[in-house]
Amino acid sequence: MRSHSAAMALLAALAAGVAAAGCTNNPYPQADRDKKVLYSSFHDAPKTLDPAVAYTTAEHVITGNVYDTLLEYHYLARPYRLIPGLAVSVPKGQDLPDGRQTYRFQLRPGVLFHPDPCFPPDATGRRTREVTAADLAFALARIADPAVNSPVIGSFAQIEGFADFSKRLEDLRRSDKAFAALPIREQYAKAGGIAGVLVHGGHELQIVLSQANAQILYWFAMPFTTPVAWEAVAAYDGKDGRDSFADHAVGTGPYRLALYEKQFRFSLARNELWYGTLSTNSDAPGAVFPTEIDPKDSIEGRIDPAYAGRRLPFVDRVTFYREREGIPQFNKLLEGYYDDGGIIKESFDAVIQNGRLSPAMRARGMRLDVTVEPSIFYVGFNMEDPVVGTPAGERGRKLRQAMSVAVDSRQYLELFLNGRGLPAQTLLPPEIFGYDSSYKNPFRQYDVERARQILADAGYKNGIDAATGNRLKLSFDTSATTAAASLQFEYLANSWRQIGIDVEINATTYNQFQDKVRHGAYQIFSWGWLADFPDPENFLFLLACENARSKNGGPNTASFCNAEFDSLYHQMKYLPNNARRADLIRRMLAILERERPWIELYHLEEFVLSHAWLVNSKPMGISYPAYKYKDVRPELRARLQGEWNAPLRWPLYLVLCAIVALTVPAVRTYYRERL
Amino acid sequence: MHWVSDILVVLLASAAVGVCRYVSGDRFWRENATELWRRRPFAIAIVGAYLLIALMDSISWVDPASDANALTSGKPRTIIDRLFVPETFTEASYSAPLASVAFYGGQPLLHPGAHLLGTDLLGRDVVYRTLKGVRVALLIGGLTSLVVIPIALLFGVSAGYFGRRIDDAVFFAMTVLASVPTLLLLIALIMVLGKGTVQVCVALGVTGWVHFCRIARGETLKLRETDFIAAARALGVRDGTIIRRHILPNIAHLVIITFALSFTALVLSETILSYLGIGLDGSWGQMIDQARNELSRTPVIWWNLTGASIALFTLVLAVNMIADAMRDVIDPRTRREG
Amino acid sequence: MAAYFLRRIGYGVITLLGVLLLLFVLFFAVTDPDDIARKAVGERARPEVYAQWKTNHGYDKPLIINTGATGAGRFTDTLLAEHYRRMLTFDFGRSDADDSPISRRLREGALPSLGITVPLFVMGLVVSVAVALFVAFFRETYIDRVVLVLCMLTMSVAGLLYIIAGQYLVGQLLRWFPISGFDPNPAVVARFLALPVLVGVLSGFGADTRFYRTIFLEEIGRDYVRTARAKGCGDARVMVRHVLRNALIPILTNVVVQIPFLFTGALLLESFFGIPGLGALTVEAIQGNDFSTLRTMVYLGALLFIAGQILTDISYALADPRVRLG
Repeated sequence: MRSHSAAMALLAALAAGVAAAGCTNNPYPQADRDKKVLYSSFHDAPKTLDPAVAYTTAEHVITGNVYDTLLEYHYLARPYRLIPGLAVSVPKGQDLPDGRQTYRFQLRPGVLFHPDPCFPPDATGRRTREVTAADLAFALARIADPAVNSPVIGSFAQIEGFADFSKRLEDLRRSDKAFAALPIREQYAKAGGIAGVLVHGGHELQIVLSQANAQILYWFAMPFTTPVAWEAVAAYDGKDGRDSFADHAVGTGPYRLALYEKQFRFSLARNELWYGTLSTNSDAPGAVFPTEIDPKDSIEGRIDPAYAGRRLPFVDRVTFYREREGIPQFNKLLEGYYDDGGIIKESFDAVIQNGRLSPAMRARGMRLDVTVEPSIFYVGFNMEDPVVGTPAGERGRKLRQAMSVAVDSRQYLELFLNGRGLPAQTLLPPEIFGYDSSYKNPFRQYDVERARQILADAGYKNGIDAATGNRLKLSFDTSATTAAASLQFEYLANSWRQIGIDVEINATTYNQFQDKVRHGAYQIFSWGWLADFPDPENFLFLLACENARSKNGGPNTASFCNAEFDSLYHQMKYLPNNARRADLIRRMLAILERERPWIELYHLEEFVLSHAWLVNSKPMGISYPAYKYKDVRPELRARLQGEWNAPLRWPLYLVLCAIVALTVPAVRTYYRERL
Repeated sequence: MHWVSDILVVLLASAAVGVCRYVSGDRFWRENATELWRRRPFAIAIVGAYLLIALMDSISWVDPASDANALTSGKPRTIIDRLFVPETFTEASYSAPLASVAFYGGQPLLHPGAHLLGTDLLGRDVVYRTLKGVRVALLIGGLTSLVVIPIALLFGVSAGYFGRRIDDAVFFAMTVLASVPTLLLLIALIMVLGKGTVQVCVALGVTGWVHFCRIARGETLKLRETDFIAAARALGVRDGTIIRRHILPNIAHLVIITFALSFTALVLSETILSYLGIGLDGSWGQMIDQARNELSRTPVIWWNLTGASIALFTLVLAVNMIADAMRDVIDPRTRREG
Repeated sequence: MAAYFLRRIGYGVITLLGVLLLLFVLFFAVTDPDDIARKAVGERARPEVYAQWKTNHGYDKPLIINTGATGAGRFTDTLLAEHYRRMLTFDFGRSDADDSPISRRLREGALPSLGITVPLFVMGLVVSVAVALFVAFFRETYIDRVVLVLCMLTMSVAGLLYIIAGQYLVGQLLRWFPISGFDPNPAVVARFLALPVLVGVLSGFGADTRFYRTIFLEEIGRDYVRTARAKGCGDARVMVRHVLRNALIPILTNVVVQIPFLFTGALLLESFFGIPGLGALTVEAIQGNDFSTLRTMVYLGALLFIAGQILTDISYALADPRVRLG
């Protein structure tokens, strides 16, 4: 009887264990259910929090809230508008002789860094200090510092003396070992600083541009230009077990980084010393909820008008969990354990019906926000390739045109993004100056017959090279690592296969792919671009010859070089948005229409779901995620979570019954035979 | 690269034929084979069917260009490709098994009722994709084993037979490789060598030979001490002859059983590699990885996952069963008695 | 005795040096450090950033012979020597992908890994031993056959499918546990671990149960069991008192070998269930081309394995004097 009862005891223990584990899918402790905590998720772990370097969405979620900027985007107004943040006002450009231009920023007084051990204690024992204009200049010098390796170093080159400073710093470090050993701040001071960045007293920063450029202000609404404490850079050098500055954020923002396990989770906690909480800043535009509320936002329940004019922030804590897989993330969102999130393609049809939320989702009180991202996803050709590129002349052009006509953006969007995107006609997305909603690109209208015809004109009838009799064979180089991503490339390849071109997909690791790109050993690639700021220049520069990958490793991966395009680009670059600029852009787009260095696929549409208890959540698009405006209602959340997540217990009993049913007869037979 | 695997499949097939001929020529093996067939006819038939499919998918030739076959000429196509004609036998996107309308939208299909297991996201026939996976699976399992066994036998037997320096060297190499967790070593190798059929098979081979080698070495050590080997040596028979005539036949059964077991392990571990993004193109692992999220679609899309899973499961189960039966049939103990 | 221990440990050290050589060939000789550097700092980085990165990560030396140095420096100031020095002193440096110190990542990941692997290991052992014992008790009955068929079936399913099915059924449809995630908070940690442990136990069930059943059947066939029966012991008593106790040695042999791997985590389970352990770290390293982390994980896995082997051998020697003479 011993083993029988032992087995039974084991089963009972197993069942008890399952029951004891709580049998609940709530991932948070009971104690947190009434707190003002906002829960969200992230996919890719942030690499660095150094504001001069951080460039990805996950990184900006942190840097955008932990670091304040001189200017900010208005939370509600569209098209995007800049409002003052740390600056007292948005400066106006003053023209100087010989086409130069200057901007003067007035920094608010009394702005404090987050308390951090890197600061010496002040008179009251707090380890913090006031932000000065020198901290802003220090941040700009860091962007220029080649050792920091900022991805946006080129975007500030228009500041006078910016490139000179980089060069001087580099030369001094190389020639003078003693100089290279100095603390960073002293190095910058010795190297003489950036000529066009002037600090006047404690609270004024002046920028001098070598050429008038209204777009420069956008860069002061990005975390790159946040004030940086030299103490933090010096203290967190990553040596001898100390944190590195890339993992340790010391900012001024409404939230401070309370928990940072970047592979797993991080948490932002309210900054009690934030400038917005000071009584002197009760009218600062970046410290109160905007009063001009679009009626549409309040009707759709996105924005609660009762918040107008209230002091920010509302939520005490924002906690993010890493979700590497879309389905668990989305399920937790539906279960109510995340307050907002995107929609996975698998569940799209259950959630969205006829372009709006399904009745079941609406009954749950969920909200849907749709925005077109300022983005372009495209297939690019290596324009230096002898078959598909410029060397092939008219034949290559025709081939590119044929391949462009053979790709059905609409179906691609249906298959892979549930139609969440706008088929692209040019590289410019809506809401960007120069976008023409009536324009239809003749080579972006899907038509297999026409594609075959153009291909035949190019001398590849049905994909057979008339000159050699061989089938045209192209290689499509991707760095797809997941099986799901490889399907998208398979679809594109199939589009070209249907007109007879034999396309081979070379899925390599990212390393091998980069290697191929470096050696020019690629023909076709697929890429995307998300704009830094809402200006056409931020798209068109991707095809300027000066940015060609083959010449100087720039972002023009297609290595497209067209003299006429370049000359128009330089004329257009710094112009304000006027009729002349529109005309230049139109002529540039006409060149791209004909030359087809890219097949423009689509502009991404972002669908965000949020729960009824999350208020004041408006999609950001180009600006930065600002949690200071959002609020949650924990009581509502706790009630709904309970309603939605009752576990189904009967299968457990069924399994137990099955095991018993299997076992008992055997035991009985056994004992009957024995006794 | 296609031709490399083609040659390998042909080698595999000829090796199978060679084994069959040897088995039928030897009384002991013939009896064992008959017994095995009596015990596991279905499993053997299933493996045979898989082999046949893989073979059909390895014989390919190129059609000359003409207007009638505008899309398919100039490319090598296998018998399976010719049966299914994947260039035209597709739909726009998902369709359920034997459905006559598309899964989403409900448009009529180009080939209503013709897709036994439906179509996938890109409208490709799932049966066709599953059958294409057979060759990849056999390549992974069979080929790696066939590359590994001779090497492992060479090292293992010579280490066990000659001992001393050779044994020390082989044993050291074995210990080093065995010390590294297999999956980690496999991953490291593929990351370093890069993706691709040959690279993955080489990586699997490097990690796989140790196991074989250890068994061969251990068994040879034991055999070397037996009386009949001692007698052969005393009679002055050359070492090469002893190994060929006495040692190899006596460890053959172990090699076969280990082969079967390692085959299933290899095929199963490919699914993990696929999940990690370093598997083989067109494998079942990749199909499963592509299809795993489709369970969350409403209504559930199950046929994609099912196609690959069932094919994988059946193959592994059949090989496992054969290996099991084989162990019973050619257990050395029963053999000594008989 | 001492001589045997020393010899055993000495051989372990030599094996470890061999593993390091293998790692060196794979990660320095076959892989081009330039590629790793380029990937890490980006294509557009200036040469000095690139050189700085290589210095920081210890990739800036000649492979085996330093022609620039004199004397002993010719051989010590090289990647090979540096690789040995750093690995043997546990100075793993920084991740190639995101510059964070690897030793910190290991510290952070060890606990979640043990949190999943230890319960998995214990539960797996208990369940399969119990079922094997049960089946051995009812050998040659329909229970034996049913369980054997079940084992064979569960062995033939890919591990990935267990995870997919487990998440879908238990997490998504039945809502018993969170579908994935982790929190070290003791109030909630059990509910995160329940599902991965369940899935892990199920996927290892078939092979283990069959293995233990074979062991039990072998023991049952021995003379002492017949003797025990003859003197009138009850069947159940024989199974637990005699068979289980005598089978413990082969069971433990099988088990001890697995212990070192508890530390390196469960690769797929952690990654699928979002448990931030060392297994997930490894998967991350694979997908992010993080060679230094991967190298460290391989090294640690080997180190633990070798240490485990030495401990096993030594404990055998202590238990059985014949071993150390042989």
